[in-house]
Amino acid sequence: MSSENSPVPPEMVRKVASLARVRVPEADLPAWTGQLGRILSYIGQLEGIPEQPLAPAPLPATPLRADAPRSGHGAEALEANCRSTVHGYGSVPRVVGSLIP
Amino acid sequence: MTERPAGEAARGVRDTAGEVAGGVRRAVDVLEDALSRVRSGDDRVRAFLEVTSDLAREEARAVDVRVAAGEDLPLAGVPIAVKDNLWVAGRQTTCASRILQGFRPSEDSTAVARLRRAGGVFIGRTNMDEFAMGSSTENSSVQTTANPWDVSRIPGGSSGGSAAAVSARFVPAAIGSDTGGSIRQPAACCGVVGFKPTYGRVSRFGLVAFASSLDQIGPLTRNVQDAARVYQVMAGEDPRDSTSSREPVGEPEKAALAGFAGKTVGFLGEADAEGLDPEVSANLAEARAAFRAVGATVTTVSVPRAGIAVAIYYVIASAEASSNLARFDGVRYGPRAAADELLSLYIETRTAGFGAEVKRRILLGTFALSAGYHEAYYGRAMSARQLLSEDFDRAFSQVDVVVCPSIPTPAFRLGEKTADPLSMYLSDIFTVPASLAGLPAIAVPSGLSREGLPLGIQIAAPRFAEETLFAAAGALERELAFPQELPTGMA
Repeated sequence: MSSENSPVPPEMVRKVASLARVRVPEADLPAWTGQLGRILSYIGQLEGIPEQPLAPAPLPATPLRADAPRSGHGAEALEANCRSTVHGYGSVPRVVGSLIP
Repeated sequence: MTERPAGEAARGVRDTAGEVAGGVRRAVDVLEDALSRVRSGDDRVRAFLEVTSDLAREEARAVDVRVAAGEDLPLAGVPIAVKDNLWVAGRQTTCASRILQGFRPSEDSTAVARLRRAGGVFIGRTNMDEFAMGSSTENSSVQTTANPWDVSRIPGGSSGGSAAAVSARFVPAAIGSDTGGSIRQPAACCGVVGFKPTYGRVSRFGLVAFASSLDQIGPLTRNVQDAARVYQVMAGEDPRDSTSSREPVGEPEKAALAGFAGKTVGFLGEADAEGLDPEVSANLAEARAAFRAVGATVTTVSVPRAGIAVAIYYVIASAEASSNLARFDGVRYGPRAAADELLSLYIETRTAGFGAEVKRRILLGTFALSAGYHEAYYGRAMSARQLLSEDFDRAFSQVDVVVCPSIPTPAFRLGEKTADPLSMYLSDIFTVPASLAGLPAIAVPSGLSREGLPLGIQIAAPRFAEETLFAAAGALERELAFPQELPTGMA
């Protein structure tokens, strides 16, 4: 845990951005490393807290609703948010395999 | 300050609903007055992203028919503005983000559906910090909203459009969402009442998720009883949100008139520390005197981890946001970047679609959840959150409510903190603790600074003790008598 007010390494920002599916331009890296470093330094206040979660307070049971079918809003409502439809189905980019047709 | 405006502009939720229900005014006329106020004033405030005049006229006409048929409608004809992260059937819901432009939900959020059922008239979508991430509404991808008390200042955030719309007297009520203070902080900045219910009180079905263990929906109004009425309409179990509670809602509106004599008010010791803004500190002393004057016992109470709440919050909220916002990838919602490969599609869509603050939180959350850092950041934050909750439990074994300022300073200037995210995060230092503990909390306008800007007092109560909270807030409001004049920036 960072305890000083220091920038995080640029490679860390690159790695996290890649995991988050966001691109951080190289020119912007110094600003990001400085800002995130300052925020993480502030979060360093938590240093004395145990890392392992404490036994949680008991929660009320999740209420269950009746297992009964409900009507939807119909194909038209769904299609309203589709850019294109094919044979009555919403058409989206190919997500299995690497190339988008 | 100008004289209190005569006529409809001065009326709140209960007055308006009473007049429409009683046949004194028609919902369509109430609506036209509201639309006219928006037309003449919103070019200065920029609270609305969209004013849905045609839809609102249809709704108002329907309300008049229902009133004529004898329906009992607690919000009869009350024009209500809704933050742009709540679904309204057929209208855009964008969270003030480029990545959701064009998204039109097919049904109402439960909160909006309940408001409409009660006779409320949806008048438009209000501006907000993108995905509710911010404290000044400057993170909107669309526009900047101004504070009606001084248009060079922020309205607070993230529900800044909702707060400004009520403060400027465009509408008697607006709906916001509160994850770490996003109803209470802007309410305080704009001199209106802002209420965040207990976690689980109001269904989040149809609220675009930011941090699911914290998000709550609540009202912004001009007075405490109005907030209680709007809350009462929205609250209660909903089979479509498994976190919504079955606890009885009770009668918060009636409770707001009950007084607070004989109760114990604990002022948060950690808040009134060295370094607190002198005007905020003096206002806190006035609130102490006000509670004594209504017959309450006033004491100091400690919530030791309140001081680390912002650190806890920014780990947990960012971690949850990084997960919740993973769904915005260009496949299912909004604009889609041109790309010839799937990973590029995700990256380019998200890079173009999210603003800087949203990216910052996603990166922070992704970091806090990543291998090698998860325990040190997320694990510790979760432990600290529980310790903070236990601190509140101990405090509530001694007092009925815990009181502190709503905001550390009056509204700051537009642009003043945009380059310093941490400084912006600290604007929520007094609101975040109640969010982490899931408590109901309300911001009550409590006075004006020397510069004529609103100050606010926040009251928190134990989970599901909304009636106690409204009793305290109502008593404080009556004693402090915050000025009801039109805000200076609207004069």
